[in-house]
Amino acid sequence: MNNDDPTIRSQHVEFTYDGAVEPAVHDTSLAVEPGECVVLCGASGCGKTTYTRIINALVPSFFHGAFSGRQYTCGLDTAGISIDQLTPLVGSVFQNPKTQYFNANTTDELAFPAENMGYTPEEINRRIGEVCERFGIAHLMDRSIFRLSGGQKQRIAMAAAVVLSPKLVVLDEPTSNLDAAAIADMRQMIEELKAQGMTVVIAEHRLAWLNGVADRYVVFDGGRIVQDYAAEEFLSLGAGCIAAMGLRALDLEPYRAKIRLLDQPVESSDAVVRTRGLRIGYRGREAFARPVPDMAFHAGQIVGVMGGNGCGKSTLVRTLTGLIEPLAGAVELHGKPAKPHDLTRAGFMVMQDVNYQLFSDGVRDELLIGLDDTNPQIVDQANKVLASLDLAPFAERHPMSLSGGQKQRVAIASALMSGKEFIVLDEPTSGLDRFHMEQVGRLLRQLADQGKAIAVVTHDEELAAGWCDRIINLERSL
Amino acid sequence: MNSVCGRIRNLDPRTKLVLLILANLMLFFHVAVSTQAVMVVLFLLPLVAAGRWRMALKFAVVYAVLTALGFLDPEFLGMPWLHVVSALAVGANMMLPCFITGAYAFSTTSPSAFICAMRRIHMPEAVVIPCVVVIRFFPTVAQDYRQIRAAMALRGIASGGWGMLRHPAQSLEYILIPLLMNATNVAQDLSVAALTKGLGRAGAHTSRTRIHMTPIDWLTIVVCTVPLALDIAGVI
Repeated sequence: MNNDDPTIRSQHVEFTYDGAVEPAVHDTSLAVEPGECVVLCGASGCGKTTYTRIINALVPSFFHGAFSGRQYTCGLDTAGISIDQLTPLVGSVFQNPKTQYFNANTTDELAFPAENMGYTPEEINRRIGEVCERFGIAHLMDRSIFRLSGGQKQRIAMAAAVVLSPKLVVLDEPTSNLDAAAIADMRQMIEELKAQGMTVVIAEHRLAWLNGVADRYVVFDGGRIVQDYAAEEFLSLGAGCIAAMGLRALDLEPYRAKIRLLDQPVESSDAVVRTRGLRIGYRGREAFARPVPDMAFHAGQIVGVMGGNGCGKSTLVRTLTGLIEPLAGAVELHGKPAKPHDLTRAGFMVMQDVNYQLFSDGVRDELLIGLDDTNPQIVDQANKVLASLDLAPFAERHPMSLSGGQKQRVAIASALMSGKEFIVLDEPTSGLDRFHMEQVGRLLRQLADQGKAIAVVTHDEELAAGWCDRIINLERSL
Repeated sequence: MNSVCGRIRNLDPRTKLVLLILANLMLFFHVAVSTQAVMVVLFLLPLVAAGRWRMALKFAVVYAVLTALGFLDPEFLGMPWLHVVSALAVGANMMLPCFITGAYAFSTTSPSAFICAMRRIHMPEAVVIPCVVVIRFFPTVAQDYRQIRAAMALRGIASGGWGMLRHPAQSLEYILIPLLMNATNVAQDLSVAALTKGLGRAGAHTSRTRIHMTPIDWLTIVVCTVPLALDIAGVI
């Protein structure tokens, strides 16, 4: 490969996953020059993730299906090679920090690609030292990856992707689970890669963090490239134009200002759930404890719980729903001190990974678990709940065959069915495009209007500013 | 400093493999109860040495209870149905050494040390890779299980200690379905991550993890083999 050949050259690539009817990527051609930083954007299901898989040759050798066209990555025709040949040339970073590391120990993880290349231990250690210095992650070495925060895990994933000094780094929605501080770290790492002259391709929903780093924005829609902007051109588009393309905001400052305004304590009675002198945390090996300011959740209100990774948001909502006991203080339900058991009965939590909480082989059956499904009144009520959440057409479907957003709604439907009055959502919009984020926002409003008290744990400034009535920032109120 | 301590108190992965094989041979050869007791004690020692004394204690208690149940004489007690209980106890007891050595191997071996050991003994890659994926997989199952139990509690399904016992089959289904659904996703993610990092690459792989057999390893192997060999030879 000559030095001035494009790093990526796609000629009419098209791919249909096995079992799918429509191609995920349609007749797409693109060239990315060495050293360019290109952002692939577009709504969920627009084909950008599949396109990253075509680039790093996971399509067609790992994800099977019908592939046509020609894909050259770093000068190699991906149809004629095994993925292993790209290992030293292409580094890949994926969406989920939890499932992309292979070793239990951070240093082992960085060594892993170099070990597979057959480098000597001295060479491996030298490379690890180099990457650590370049990214400032020496303090993360020799630690258990399981105990790192999502942001730290993602930094390790980045470091492992570049330990072989590849020509190209491909990232698939690397920030969907990260908070603002971790995203800033990611940005710094991308800048570092660019300074090294590496080519960077990022498929991403969240766009604001890439301002000034990206050289080019490629917009996908329905499996095709619909626009290809130089950075200045793209950044000068109006907010309305960006929104019309279904993309997330380019400037988060207005949203952050709104969030600061919403971050006010309230004085009022008749809260559904209220805390007094609460101290939350865990005992034992992973001990962690912190006090939290008194807070209240009212019927009809959406409260955003914000703050960086590791400040105790998840521990707080687990305490509020009675899944763990408070270390001290009390949680009150309608003004009366409540035991964890009562809180679990009155509250519900939609987990970030909703797959854990669907148990049946049909959507309607899911709502009827534990209830008398021969009672026509109860079945009738289930149908009403399904209709109110636009789930009626899917009543007979298997929950696992639904989209992520539909699964969230099924979980919420099950909560409504059992008369829960306090509903917590944990990061409901991570990895969602603008349209689906707004859909979640409308759903929150609808639940609040039905008289539920809603708490939403989120890093998503756009969701928080657009839909929350009040914000509790756990980091600020430490 | 850490790694030095680790080397002293943790056995070589190859030794752990030998212990696993010994435990399976015990099951195969139906060893005498006395041999079994000696072997169980020997197998528990490395667990204690690795700082897993709580786990060792649990295994010891389970073993003691099962052994006691196995010695019950239902005829003498006039409760013939106890035959079922003592037969089950004896069966479970025979498998316990495998669980102990298995738990020891899984909970104290890092994937990198394991890969290194398997390659050292020239195990084919087709065996190494699936084994490593399984080792990597176990902690995620434990995490998933806790998530699912929390989700069940929120739904009021089989919550509390007794809930599971009242409807065991149904509870198992509620736990297994989400567990398996997630397992397929996790397995795919892990495979993709490992593939792009060259796990399947042909040619020599190296390792910066250093493993070696120490005198303690050899001693452990000899001490654990002797009772089993004597039993099989019919001396005990």
